[in-house]
Amino acid sequence: MEINTITGILDTTLALIFTWIGYKTSRIIWKYTPYSYPNARIRAMEARFFTEQRFSELAESKTLNNFVMNLEDSDYKPYLSKLNSYTAETIDRAFDEALADTYALMFKILPKRVRQFFNLLLEEWDVRNISSVVKAKLYGEVARDYVAELGTMIEKIKAMAEAKTMEEILVILEGTEYEEVYQKLLLKEISVEEFETELYRMHYLKLLNFALSRGDEERKILEEFVKLKIDKINILTILRAKLHRLSSEKIKSMLLMEGSLSQRTIETLLNVEDLSMALAELDSTKYSEIVREVREELEKGDLASFEVAFEKFIRRKMIEFTRFYPLSVAVPVSYILQKESEVRKLKAIAKLIEDKIKPEKIKTIIGEIP
Amino acid sequence: MDPIVYVALGAALAAGIAGAASSFGVGIAGAAAAGAVAEDEKNFKNALILQGLPMTQSIYGLITLFLILLVSGILGGTFKFADSTQENIIKSAILLGAGLTVGLTGLSAIPQGIIASAGIGAVSKNPKTFTQGIIFAAMAETMAIFGLVGALIMIITGVGF
Repeated sequence: MEINTITGILDTTLALIFTWIGYKTSRIIWKYTPYSYPNARIRAMEARFFTEQRFSELAESKTLNNFVMNLEDSDYKPYLSKLNSYTAETIDRAFDEALADTYALMFKILPKRVRQFFNLLLEEWDVRNISSVVKAKLYGEVARDYVAELGTMIEKIKAMAEAKTMEEILVILEGTEYEEVYQKLLLKEISVEEFETELYRMHYLKLLNFALSRGDEERKILEEFVKLKIDKINILTILRAKLHRLSSEKIKSMLLMEGSLSQRTIETLLNVEDLSMALAELDSTKYSEIVREVREELEKGDLASFEVAFEKFIRRKMIEFTRFYPLSVAVPVSYILQKESEVRKLKAIAKLIEDKIKPEKIKTIIGEIP
Repeated sequence: MDPIVYVALGAALAAGIAGAASSFGVGIAGAAAAGAVAEDEKNFKNALILQGLPMTQSIYGLITLFLILLVSGILGGTFKFADSTQENIIKSAILLGAGLTVGLTGLSAIPQGIIASAGIGAVSKNPKTFTQGIIFAAMAETMAIFGLVGALIMIITGVGF
């Protein structure tokens, strides 16, 4: 073989190998490196989640003073030490602050390409707060009691809770994305239920669009997460409506967009006659394990247990993702879900201690909290 | 290309690619180590050991660089394949191949860093998983060892001392 031919083959082979290796290597580095720091940090934070044993000890606190003292070695200490008096309400706000800081931390440490998702998750608290405040105002209740100190527009929410008239709320919401839908409510073009549905619809559409705009594993994980949450709301709406024997047309207007359940399944669920037939239909979907878990309670019309089981199901799914993709967005999503659950339980314990409920009863109740 | 170019490329790619891959691997695991230590200083020892694993590929690259320079005579001061004869080109190409083998298998330092990074996360959550974390990360090392063994065979049988 000619020398020129040998060198030609060698040079071409080298060029091909280096191009391929360079492309593949850069893809791997781009994909995993940004998750290296945050995910290890989050894993270390997961080690500090309270165990069932710890919740039991907290349930034995008897007074709120003891309860706060028992939390002195936890991540909540900085928030609780700022309190002048210990009531379930002040402690509740301290936990909200801790949760808000968790979202802020996620936003700070996660890769730019996914951090916006956590801001969107925080916006769900805005939706909940707006909906709670508006409903409280309409039903003549103290709106302030329904505000969680979380979200991206907490000052506006507080101002809404203090508003004297419904028109004042419109001024506060001016310039936000919620203005238009609230205006429709004021003009009585939509009912309060439709207003709430529309708020959630807007929110979940944003979440879904963000998830679909990502690539590879990020898209897979975020899409699954958002669709599970959409399914939870849709299924609960359908089951509640079936319990109250609402028409399929009425139920349809209260549903969010399509989640992971197919349109055909949704249509079937809408058109079945009663709750037991809806459950039978759900039994043939990927949610059959939830139905089986709480079938007895569901048949008695207890939808709260179904909601709890669904929350746990979503959490399990996200934890599964963290096992398959340890360097991915699944880790922070799963962490947030677990943190929210921990905060819910701690808030419940504080409230139950204030209401002087016996420790044994508290333990039973917190076991039922998702 | 002249034989000197192939030999120099072989030596440079062995140490260069493996070294760069090691730095990426150590960097990825190092970021995870920093995250773990930021939450709990007790994670330092375990994280440090896992972080160091992707460094070995750069050592293999360095060994290969020395061997290539030695057998080609560059290290002794006289380059043995100066003339562009067919035999010299083949021998210098073998040395390039040896360097490339170690360099490319040295890229295993990057996935090793990713595995170590995930391992650091797991150890931070549950320190009992430390040994398993080391074993998982060490699996990626085998490819680099195969590469080094292959390169040694190529150098010894193809060129000789």
